[in-house]
Amino acid sequence: MHKNTFWSPYLSGIGIGLTLLASFVLAGQGLGASRAFTVAAGTALQGVLPAYTSTLVYLSKYLALSPFRDWTFVEVTGLFFGALAGVLIGGGFKIHVDRSASMPAGVRLLSAFGGGIILGWASRLARGCTSGVALTGGAQLALSGWVFILAMFASGFLFASLFRRFWS
Amino acid sequence: MSTPFALSDAANLFAAIIVGLFFGFFLERGGLGNPHRLTGVFYLTDFSVPKAMFTAILVAATGLCLLSDMKLLDMSRVWIIPTFFWPQLVGGGIFGLGYLISGYCPGTAVAGFASGRLDALVTMFGIGGGTLLFSICFPSLEGFYKTGDMGTVTLPEWTGMNHWVLLGLLYVLAGIMFFLMERYERRTVRSLADVKKTADQAMHAAT
Repeated sequence: MHKNTFWSPYLSGIGIGLTLLASFVLAGQGLGASRAFTVAAGTALQGVLPAYTSTLVYLSKYLALSPFRDWTFVEVTGLFFGALAGVLIGGGFKIHVDRSASMPAGVRLLSAFGGGIILGWASRLARGCTSGVALTGGAQLALSGWVFILAMFASGFLFASLFRRFWS
Repeated sequence: MSTPFALSDAANLFAAIIVGLFFGFFLERGGLGNPHRLTGVFYLTDFSVPKAMFTAILVAATGLCLLSDMKLLDMSRVWIIPTFFWPQLVGGGIFGLGYLISGYCPGTAVAGFASGRLDALVTMFGIGGGTLLFSICFPSLEGFYKTGDMGTVTLPEWTGMNHWVLLGLLYVLAGIMFFLMERYERRTVRSLADVKKTADQAMHAAT
């Protein structure tokens, strides 16, 4: 049986809060995540279709630097290895498709991909995601962060019943 | 001494990787790479996300207020997240839908993948695709994308309240929320234990 070795979410929250504060002090900016996906996907598209990519005006600010010189891309690379260290120390690493018992793995992968498309699209519209707008903006007491937080939770509660079978 | 430090490009990228390492470590240790846990708040089964999120926000906000009041941090040199009211309201709402369906948000998908979840990897590809889709749609969205421009407005500026008063209010609200969540969780756990006890007694009586 898998033993739950996770920390209390309050303790994890204190750690994330101190990390965020350190980021402001060291780098003058908070945490981010969705930007790294735009940089990675934009760079990939540029590799395959360079002429077409150059017509996408919105992408130009994400392609100004190579990914490994982009602050958020480097930070998210660190995030991956930090989480990997966490799972190796705490235990629980397992290659699997995480899904509800009633959902076939193929359907789960489709819903994960579709949900991901929505996440990516929406985070560009909102100028960031849970990290860059909710956490960072929230901690700055910026209106942006709190508008995003309220909209995200309101929508989650509003639509939760439609997707209950995904998670139980 | 005043921060943020004016780091060289190389040092700034080094800071990025260190900050990322800690962020990922704390996310994973809080169980925030698990999509059941991440969506649990919407089904009232797990409150890890609001607990960790509002704790993190309050810790960092308190630190920012302290450091800037003590003149150790120059907030005018910190990148404040600008407010574009309507796209952030609508974007946040659509984001909530993507979060419910995929079970992740961009940062937690990376943490989920690091613990071996292939659905998290697929979500990551979806997020990349979604941002490209937005870039392609951008010419027709540009008008809406720029509506509700309020600049780098903060809640203390917007409400005219002192930042410590506002922070105090957030502490009270978060405290009430945490209290209610803890009480709800204790009751749910107790009622589950009751169900088990009754079932055990029934089993005992039957044998």
